[in-house]
Amino acid sequence: MVVLETIQTMSHKVEEFINITGQVHRIVENSGVKNGMVAVITAHTTTGIMVNEGLPCVEVDIADTLSKIVPLEAPYAHAHFLPSYGATGNNSTGHIKSMFSGNHCLFPVIDGTIVCGGAQDIYLVEFDGPQARRIFVEVMGE
Amino acid sequence: MLIDMHIHPIFYDIICENEKELGFRKDTFGVWKQGPMRFDELFAEMEAGSVDKAALLPLDLTTTAGGWVVNNDQIAKIVSVHPERFIGFASVDPHREDALEVLDYAFGTLKLEGLKLHPAKQKFYPTDAFMEPIYQKCIEYNKPILFHAGLSWEPNTPTKYCHPVAFEEVAINHPDLRICLAHFAWPWVREMVMLMIKYPNIYTDTSVLYLDSPEESIARVFTVDMGPLWFERSFYKQVLFASNGPRFRAFKIKRALDKIPMRDYAREALYSGNAIRFLKGEA
Repeated sequence: MVVLETIQTMSHKVEEFINITGQVHRIVENSGVKNGMVAVITAHTTTGIMVNEGLPCVEVDIADTLSKIVPLEAPYAHAHFLPSYGATGNNSTGHIKSMFSGNHCLFPVIDGTIVCGGAQDIYLVEFDGPQARRIFVEVMGE
Repeated sequence: MLIDMHIHPIFYDIICENEKELGFRKDTFGVWKQGPMRFDELFAEMEAGSVDKAALLPLDLTTTAGGWVVNNDQIAKIVSVHPERFIGFASVDPHREDALEVLDYAFGTLKLEGLKLHPAKQKFYPTDAFMEPIYQKCIEYNKPILFHAGLSWEPNTPTKYCHPVAFEEVAINHPDLRICLAHFAWPWVREMVMLMIKYPNIYTDTSVLYLDSPEESIARVFTVDMGPLWFERSFYKQVLFASNGPRFRAFKIKRALDKIPMRDYAREALYSGNAIRFLKGEA
Protein backbone atom coordinates (compact mmCIF):
# COMPACT_ATOMS: atom_id res chain seq x y z
CA MET A 1 0.00 0.00 0.00
CA VAL A 2 1.30 3.43 -0.97
CA VAL A 3 -0.30 6.74 0.10
CA LEU A 4 0.99 10.01 -1.36
CA GLU A 5 0.00 13.38 0.12
CA THR A 6 1.29 16.85 -0.67
CA ILE A 7 1.93 19.56 1.91
CA GLN A 8 1.54 23.06 0.47
CA THR A 9 3.27 25.83 2.33
CA MET A 10 4.39 29.39 1.79
CA SER A 11 7.67 30.83 2.98
CA HIS A 12 7.71 34.50 3.94
CA LYS A 13 11.43 35.12 4.26
CA VAL A 14 14.48 34.66 2.05
CA GLU A 15 15.61 31.87 4.40
CA GLU A 16 13.23 30.23 6.81
CA PHE A 17 12.87 27.08 8.89
CA ILE A 18 9.31 25.78 8.51
CA ASN A 19 8.47 23.05 11.00
CA ILE A 20 6.24 20.44 9.33
CA THR A 21 6.53 17.72 12.00
CA GLY A 22 2.87 17.78 13.01
CA GLN A 23 1.62 17.70 9.43
CA VAL A 24 3.81 14.70 8.55
CA HIS A 25 2.75 12.77 11.65
CA ARG A 26 -0.93 13.40 10.90
CA ILE A 27 -0.57 12.21 7.30
CA VAL A 28 1.00 8.97 8.53
CA GLU A 29 -1.69 8.43 11.18
CA ASN A 30 -4.46 9.03 8.63
CA SER A 31 -2.86 6.97 5.85
CA GLY A 32 -4.11 3.55 6.96
CA VAL A 33 -0.57 2.17 6.77
CA LYS A 34 0.27 0.25 9.95
CA ASN A 35 3.82 -0.93 9.32
CA GLY A 36 6.27 0.44 6.79
CA MET A 37 8.14 3.64 6.00
CA VAL A 38 7.41 7.30 5.35
CA ALA A 39 9.42 9.47 2.98
CA VAL A 40 9.28 13.27 3.12
CA ILE A 41 10.58 14.79 -0.13
CA THR A 42 10.77 18.39 -1.27
CA ALA A 43 9.64 19.26 -4.81
CA HIS A 44 12.30 21.98 -5.14
CA THR A 45 16.03 22.46 -5.65
CA THR A 46 16.50 25.47 -3.36
CA THR A 47 14.85 24.02 -0.27
CA GLY A 48 15.92 21.24 2.04
CA ILE A 49 14.26 18.64 4.21
CA MET A 50 16.06 18.65 7.53
CA VAL A 51 15.65 16.61 10.70
CA ASN A 52 16.90 18.34 13.80
CA GLU A 53 15.92 19.60 17.21
CA GLY A 54 13.14 22.18 17.05
CA LEU A 55 14.83 24.97 18.98
CA PRO A 56 15.29 28.53 17.67
CA CYS A 57 18.92 28.57 18.83
CA VAL A 58 19.65 25.40 16.85
CA GLU A 59 18.02 26.93 13.80
CA VAL A 60 20.19 30.04 14.17
CA ASP A 61 23.37 28.00 14.50
CA ILE A 62 22.55 25.88 11.47
CA ALA A 63 21.67 28.95 9.39
CA ASP A 64 24.79 30.84 10.45
CA THR A 65 27.05 27.89 9.78
CA LEU A 66 25.56 27.26 6.34
CA SER A 67 26.06 30.94 5.49
CA LYS A 68 29.74 30.70 6.45
CA ILE A 69 30.18 27.63 4.29
CA VAL A 70 28.12 29.10 1.43
CA PRO A 71 28.67 32.89 1.48
CA LEU A 72 26.31 35.21 -0.35
CA GLU A 73 29.07 36.95 -2.24
CA ALA A 74 31.23 34.47 -4.12
CA PRO A 75 31.97 34.00 -7.84
CA TYR A 76 29.17 31.53 -8.49
CA ALA A 77 28.88 30.33 -12.11
CA HIS A 78 25.09 30.40 -11.87
CA ALA A 79 25.02 34.23 -11.56
CA HIS A 80 23.81 35.02 -15.06
CA PHE A 81 20.74 35.34 -17.25
CA LEU A 82 19.02 32.03 -18.02
CA PRO A 83 17.41 32.09 -21.50
CA SER A 84 15.18 29.09 -20.72
CA TYR A 85 13.66 31.07 -17.81
CA GLY A 86 13.88 34.60 -19.17
CA ALA A 87 15.19 35.49 -15.72
CA THR A 88 18.46 35.58 -13.83
CA GLY A 89 19.78 32.69 -11.76
CA ASN A 90 21.53 34.28 -8.84
CA ASN A 91 20.32 31.72 -6.30
CA SER A 92 23.38 29.51 -6.05
CA THR A 93 23.43 29.78 -2.28
CA GLY A 94 19.98 28.18 -2.24
CA HIS A 95 21.04 25.34 -4.54
CA ILE A 96 24.18 24.59 -2.54
CA LYS A 97 22.59 24.88 0.90
CA SER A 98 19.87 22.50 -0.25
CA MET A 99 22.59 19.95 -0.99
CA PHE A 100 23.88 20.19 2.58
CA SER A 101 20.37 19.79 3.89
CA GLY A 102 19.31 17.04 1.49
CA ASN A 103 16.01 16.76 -0.33
CA HIS A 104 14.31 14.13 1.87
CA CYS A 105 14.12 12.23 5.11
CA LEU A 106 12.84 8.76 6.05
CA PHE A 107 11.24 7.34 9.18
CA PRO A 108 9.94 3.89 10.10
CA VAL A 109 6.22 3.50 10.67
CA ILE A 110 5.10 0.99 13.28
CA ASP A 111 1.53 0.50 14.49
CA GLY A 112 0.37 3.44 12.37
CA THR A 113 2.72 6.04 13.85
CA ILE A 114 6.16 7.41 13.07
CA VAL A 115 9.00 5.96 15.12
CA CYS A 116 11.43 8.76 15.93
CA GLY A 117 13.51 10.32 18.67
CA GLY A 118 11.92 12.91 20.91
CA ALA A 119 14.15 15.69 19.56
CA GLN A 120 13.63 14.86 15.89
CA ASP A 121 11.56 17.57 14.26
CA ILE A 122 11.07 17.70 10.50
CA TYR A 123 11.67 20.96 8.67
CA LEU A 124 11.22 22.29 5.21
CA VAL A 125 14.09 24.76 5.05
CA GLU A 126 13.65 27.63 2.62
CA PHE A 127 16.86 28.87 0.99
CA ASP A 128 15.43 31.06 -1.81
CA GLY A 129 12.18 32.50 -0.55
CA PRO A 130 9.66 33.83 -0.28
CA GLN A 131 7.91 31.26 -2.44
CA ALA A 132 4.99 28.83 -2.47
CA ARG A 133 6.42 25.36 -1.84
CA ARG A 134 5.32 21.71 -2.04
CA ILE A 135 6.48 18.71 -0.02
CA PHE A 136 5.58 15.14 -0.94
CA VAL A 137 4.85 12.75 1.91
CA GLU A 138 4.72 9.12 0.76
CA VAL A 139 3.69 6.43 3.23
CA MET A 140 4.58 2.89 2.10
CA GLY A 141 3.75 -0.36 3.86
CA GLU A 142 0.92 -2.62 4.87
CA MET B 1 9.29 54.12 1.99
CA LEU B 2 10.38 52.04 -0.99
CA ILE B 3 8.65 52.16 -4.38
CA ASP B 4 9.50 49.62 -7.08
CA MET B 5 8.85 51.43 -10.35
CA HIS B 6 9.20 48.51 -12.75
CA ILE B 7 7.08 45.37 -12.41
CA HIS B 8 5.47 43.31 -15.17
CA PRO B 9 2.45 41.64 -13.50
CA ILE B 10 2.37 38.79 -16.03
CA PHE B 11 1.80 36.11 -13.39
CA TYR B 12 -0.64 37.88 -11.04
CA ASP B 13 -3.29 35.18 -10.72
CA ILE B 14 -6.19 37.64 -10.66
CA ILE B 15 -5.53 38.22 -14.39
CA CYS B 16 -4.44 34.67 -15.28
CA GLU B 17 -7.84 33.05 -15.86
CA ASN B 18 -7.14 32.43 -19.56
CA GLU B 19 -4.35 29.91 -20.20
CA LYS B 20 -4.01 30.82 -23.87
CA GLU B 21 -3.56 34.48 -22.97
CA LEU B 22 -0.99 33.57 -20.30
CA GLY B 23 0.90 31.51 -22.87
CA PHE B 24 0.91 34.50 -25.24
CA ARG B 25 2.32 36.68 -22.48
CA LYS B 26 5.09 34.21 -21.68
CA ASP B 27 6.19 33.69 -25.26
CA THR B 28 5.86 37.35 -26.24
CA PHE B 29 7.63 38.70 -23.17
CA GLY B 30 10.12 35.82 -23.07
CA VAL B 31 9.66 34.49 -19.56
CA TRP B 32 8.94 30.87 -18.66
CA LYS B 33 8.98 28.33 -15.79
CA GLN B 34 6.95 30.60 -13.53
CA GLY B 35 3.25 30.34 -12.78
CA PRO B 36 0.34 32.38 -11.42
CA MET B 37 0.97 33.95 -8.01
CA ARG B 38 -1.59 34.93 -5.38
CA PHE B 39 -1.54 38.27 -3.61
CA ASP B 40 -0.14 36.69 -0.44
CA GLU B 41 2.84 35.41 -2.43
CA LEU B 42 3.30 38.77 -4.15
CA PHE B 43 3.13 40.66 -0.88
CA ALA B 44 5.60 38.27 0.78
CA GLU B 45 7.98 38.97 -2.08
CA MET B 46 7.49 42.72 -1.68
CA GLU B 47 7.96 42.53 2.08
CA ALA B 48 11.20 40.55 1.70
CA GLY B 49 12.60 43.65 0.02
CA SER B 50 10.70 46.15 2.20
CA VAL B 51 8.88 47.29 -0.96
CA ASP B 52 5.81 49.34 -0.03
CA LYS B 53 4.38 49.99 -3.49
CA ALA B 54 4.99 48.70 -7.00
CA ALA B 55 4.31 50.26 -10.39
CA LEU B 56 2.66 47.76 -12.72
CA LEU B 57 3.43 47.96 -16.44
CA PRO B 58 1.28 46.65 -19.31
CA LEU B 59 2.32 46.53 -22.98
CA ASP B 60 0.09 47.02 -26.02
CA LEU B 61 1.38 45.04 -29.00
CA THR B 62 -1.83 45.03 -31.01
CA THR B 63 -0.31 45.76 -34.41
CA THR B 64 3.08 44.11 -33.95
CA ALA B 65 2.14 40.90 -32.13
CA GLY B 66 -1.66 40.79 -32.11
CA GLY B 67 -2.27 41.26 -28.41
CA TRP B 68 -1.19 42.71 -25.08
CA VAL B 69 1.27 41.54 -22.46
CA VAL B 70 -1.23 42.58 -19.78
CA ASN B 71 -3.75 45.24 -20.84
CA ASN B 72 -4.84 48.53 -19.29
CA ASP B 73 -8.11 47.14 -17.89
CA GLN B 74 -6.22 44.31 -16.20
CA ILE B 75 -3.83 46.80 -14.60
CA ALA B 76 -6.79 48.85 -13.37
CA LYS B 77 -8.39 45.67 -12.00
CA ILE B 78 -5.31 44.79 -9.92
CA VAL B 79 -4.98 48.35 -8.63
CA SER B 80 -8.66 48.47 -7.69
CA VAL B 81 -8.19 45.47 -5.37
CA HIS B 82 -5.05 46.81 -3.67
CA PRO B 83 -4.68 50.55 -4.33
CA GLU B 84 -2.46 50.82 -1.26
CA ARG B 85 0.18 48.53 -2.87
CA PHE B 86 0.04 49.21 -6.59
CA ILE B 87 0.50 52.10 -9.06
CA GLY B 88 -1.07 51.39 -12.43
CA PHE B 89 0.53 52.37 -15.73
CA ALA B 90 -1.11 52.34 -19.15
CA SER B 91 0.28 51.29 -22.49
CA VAL B 92 -0.70 51.96 -26.08
CA ASP B 93 0.54 50.70 -29.41
CA PRO B 94 1.59 53.93 -31.15
CA HIS B 95 0.67 52.42 -34.52
CA ARG B 96 -3.00 52.07 -33.55
CA GLU B 97 -5.37 54.46 -35.29
CA ASP B 98 -7.25 54.87 -32.01
CA ALA B 99 -4.13 55.41 -29.89
CA LEU B 100 -5.35 58.72 -28.47
CA GLU B 101 -8.75 57.27 -27.57
CA VAL B 102 -6.97 54.41 -25.77
CA LEU B 103 -5.01 56.97 -23.76
CA ASP B 104 -8.07 59.10 -22.98
CA TYR B 105 -9.77 55.99 -21.59
CA ALA B 106 -6.65 54.88 -19.68
CA PHE B 107 -5.92 58.27 -18.10
CA GLY B 108 -9.41 59.74 -17.93
CA THR B 109 -11.54 56.71 -17.00
CA LEU B 110 -9.13 54.13 -15.56
CA LYS B 111 -7.05 56.83 -13.84
CA LEU B 112 -3.79 55.12 -14.69
CA GLU B 113 -0.77 57.11 -13.61
CA GLY B 114 1.74 56.90 -16.44
CA LEU B 115 2.49 55.39 -19.84
CA LYS B 116 4.75 52.43 -20.62
CA LEU B 117 6.22 52.18 -24.12
CA HIS B 118 8.78 49.78 -25.61
CA PRO B 119 10.26 51.17 -28.83
CA ALA B 120 11.99 47.94 -29.86
CA LYS B 121 9.00 45.72 -29.22
CA GLN B 122 6.48 48.21 -30.60
CA LYS B 123 8.73 49.12 -33.54
CA PHE B 124 9.01 52.88 -33.45
CA TYR B 125 11.67 55.51 -32.97
CA PRO B 126 10.98 58.01 -30.19
CA THR B 127 11.25 60.87 -32.71
CA ASP B 128 8.78 59.40 -35.22
CA ALA B 129 6.22 62.06 -36.17
CA PHE B 130 3.29 59.88 -35.09
CA MET B 131 4.61 59.98 -31.53
CA GLU B 132 3.96 63.71 -31.13
CA PRO B 133 0.22 63.45 -30.38
CA ILE B 134 0.99 60.78 -27.79
CA TYR B 135 3.51 63.04 -26.08
CA GLN B 136 0.99 65.89 -26.17
CA LYS B 137 -1.65 63.65 -24.62
CA CYS B 138 0.69 62.76 -21.75
CA ILE B 139 1.46 66.44 -21.16
CA GLU B 140 -2.28 67.23 -21.24
CA TYR B 141 -2.91 64.69 -18.46
CA ASN B 142 0.42 65.38 -16.67
CA LYS B 143 1.45 61.74 -17.02
CA PRO B 144 5.07 60.53 -17.28
CA ILE B 145 6.34 58.03 -19.84
CA LEU B 146 8.49 55.05 -18.92
CA PHE B 147 10.33 53.82 -22.02
CA HIS B 148 12.22 50.60 -22.26
CA ALA B 149 15.83 51.58 -23.11
CA GLY B 150 18.95 49.57 -23.92
CA LEU B 151 19.07 45.78 -24.05
CA SER B 152 15.75 43.93 -24.03
CA TRP B 153 15.47 40.20 -23.36
CA GLU B 154 12.09 40.13 -25.10
CA PRO B 155 12.10 38.28 -28.44
CA ASN B 156 12.15 40.35 -31.63
CA THR B 157 13.49 43.56 -30.10
CA PRO B 158 16.08 45.27 -32.34
CA THR B 159 18.18 47.37 -29.98
CA LYS B 160 18.56 50.20 -32.51
CA TYR B 161 15.17 51.54 -31.38
CA CYS B 162 16.29 51.78 -27.76
CA HIS B 163 19.61 53.60 -27.85
CA PRO B 164 19.38 56.42 -25.28
CA VAL B 165 20.53 59.06 -27.77
CA ALA B 166 17.40 58.28 -29.81
CA PHE B 167 15.38 59.93 -27.01
CA GLU B 168 17.33 63.19 -26.76
CA GLU B 169 15.14 65.28 -29.03
CA VAL B 170 12.04 64.16 -27.16
CA ALA B 171 13.55 65.69 -24.01
CA ILE B 172 14.56 68.84 -25.88
CA ASN B 173 11.19 69.33 -27.56
CA HIS B 174 9.14 68.49 -24.46
CA PRO B 175 10.83 69.89 -21.35
CA ASP B 176 7.54 69.51 -19.45
CA LEU B 177 7.30 65.80 -20.23
CA ARG B 178 8.90 63.52 -17.65
CA ILE B 179 10.48 60.50 -19.31
CA CYS B 180 12.27 57.53 -17.80
CA LEU B 181 14.69 55.53 -19.93
CA ALA B 182 14.61 52.31 -17.95
CA HIS B 183 17.43 49.91 -17.06
CA PHE B 184 20.11 52.65 -17.15
CA ALA B 185 19.76 52.10 -20.92
CA TRP B 186 22.29 49.33 -20.36
CA PRO B 187 24.90 48.89 -21.80
CA TRP B 188 24.94 52.63 -22.62
CA VAL B 189 25.35 53.85 -19.04
CA ARG B 190 27.64 56.76 -19.96
CA GLU B 191 25.18 57.97 -22.60
CA MET B 192 22.41 57.69 -20.01
CA VAL B 193 24.45 59.82 -17.60
CA MET B 194 25.06 62.37 -20.35
CA LEU B 195 21.33 62.72 -20.93
CA MET B 196 20.53 63.07 -17.22
CA ILE B 197 23.05 65.84 -16.63
CA LYS B 198 21.71 67.73 -19.67
CA TYR B 199 17.99 67.23 -19.15
CA PRO B 200 16.29 67.32 -15.74
CA ASN B 201 13.15 65.77 -17.23
CA ILE B 202 15.03 62.54 -18.03
CA TYR B 203 15.10 59.75 -15.45
CA THR B 204 16.38 56.20 -15.42
CA ASP B 205 15.84 53.19 -13.15
CA THR B 206 17.91 50.57 -11.33
CA SER B 207 16.54 47.43 -12.98
CA VAL B 208 19.91 46.51 -14.43
CA LEU B 209 20.98 42.93 -13.89
CA TYR B 210 22.12 41.67 -17.26
CA LEU B 211 25.38 40.12 -16.11
CA ASP B 212 26.75 38.79 -12.83
CA SER B 213 25.18 38.80 -9.37
CA PRO B 214 23.03 41.68 -8.11
CA GLU B 215 25.89 42.93 -5.92
CA GLU B 216 28.39 42.76 -8.78
CA SER B 217 26.04 44.29 -11.35
CA ILE B 218 24.86 47.21 -9.20
CA ALA B 219 28.39 47.93 -7.94
CA ARG B 220 29.64 47.94 -11.51
CA VAL B 221 27.02 50.49 -12.60
CA PHE B 222 27.32 52.75 -9.55
CA THR B 223 31.09 52.68 -9.02
CA VAL B 224 32.79 51.60 -12.27
CA ASP B 225 30.60 52.50 -15.24
CA MET B 226 29.89 55.68 -13.30
CA GLY B 227 32.28 57.41 -10.95
CA PRO B 228 31.38 56.50 -7.35
CA LEU B 229 30.10 60.03 -6.61
CA TRP B 230 28.39 60.82 -9.91
CA PHE B 231 24.95 59.70 -8.75
CA GLU B 232 24.72 61.71 -5.54
CA ARG B 233 26.60 64.72 -6.90
CA SER B 234 24.99 65.19 -10.27
CA PHE B 235 21.65 63.39 -10.75
CA TYR B 236 20.44 61.90 -7.48
CA LYS B 237 16.96 63.22 -8.27
CA GLN B 238 16.73 61.29 -11.54
CA VAL B 239 17.14 57.59 -10.69
CA LEU B 240 14.20 55.42 -9.65
CA PHE B 241 14.41 52.22 -7.64
CA ALA B 242 13.15 49.40 -9.86
CA SER B 243 13.50 45.64 -10.10
CA ASN B 244 12.02 44.49 -13.45
CA GLY B 245 10.13 41.64 -11.81
CA PRO B 246 9.56 38.84 -12.70
CA ARG B 247 12.96 38.77 -14.40
CA PHE B 248 14.85 40.09 -11.36
CA ARG B 249 13.77 39.89 -7.70
CA ALA B 250 13.33 43.24 -5.97
CA PHE B 251 14.86 42.22 -2.64
CA LYS B 252 18.11 41.28 -4.36
CA ILE B 253 18.35 44.62 -6.20
CA LYS B 254 17.58 46.40 -2.91
CA ARG B 255 20.17 44.32 -1.03
CA ALA B 256 22.80 45.29 -3.61
CA LEU B 257 21.86 48.99 -3.57
CA ASP B 258 21.98 49.06 0.24
CA LYS B 259 25.69 48.22 -0.06
CA ILE B 260 26.47 51.21 -2.29
CA PRO B 261 27.71 54.13 -0.15
CA MET B 262 25.64 57.27 -0.62
CA ARG B 263 24.31 60.12 1.49
CA ASP B 264 20.97 59.64 3.20
CA TYR B 265 19.16 62.25 1.10
CA ALA B 266 20.34 60.55 -2.10
CA ARG B 267 19.17 57.15 -0.88
CA GLU B 268 15.77 58.54 0.14
CA ALA B 269 15.41 60.09 -3.30
CA LEU B 270 16.44 56.85 -5.00
CA TYR B 271 14.08 54.68 -2.99
CA SER B 272 10.91 56.80 -3.11
CA GLY B 273 11.24 60.57 -3.55
CA ASN B 274 12.15 60.42 -7.21
CA ALA B 275 9.31 58.03 -7.98
CA ILE B 276 6.79 60.41 -6.45
CA ARG B 277 8.18 63.39 -8.38
CA PHE B 278 8.30 61.36 -11.59
CA LEU B 279 4.67 60.37 -11.17
CA LYS B 280 3.24 63.72 -10.10
CA GLY B 281 5.75 66.36 -11.19
CA GLU B 282 7.30 69.00 -8.98
CA ALA B 283 4.99 70.16 -6.18
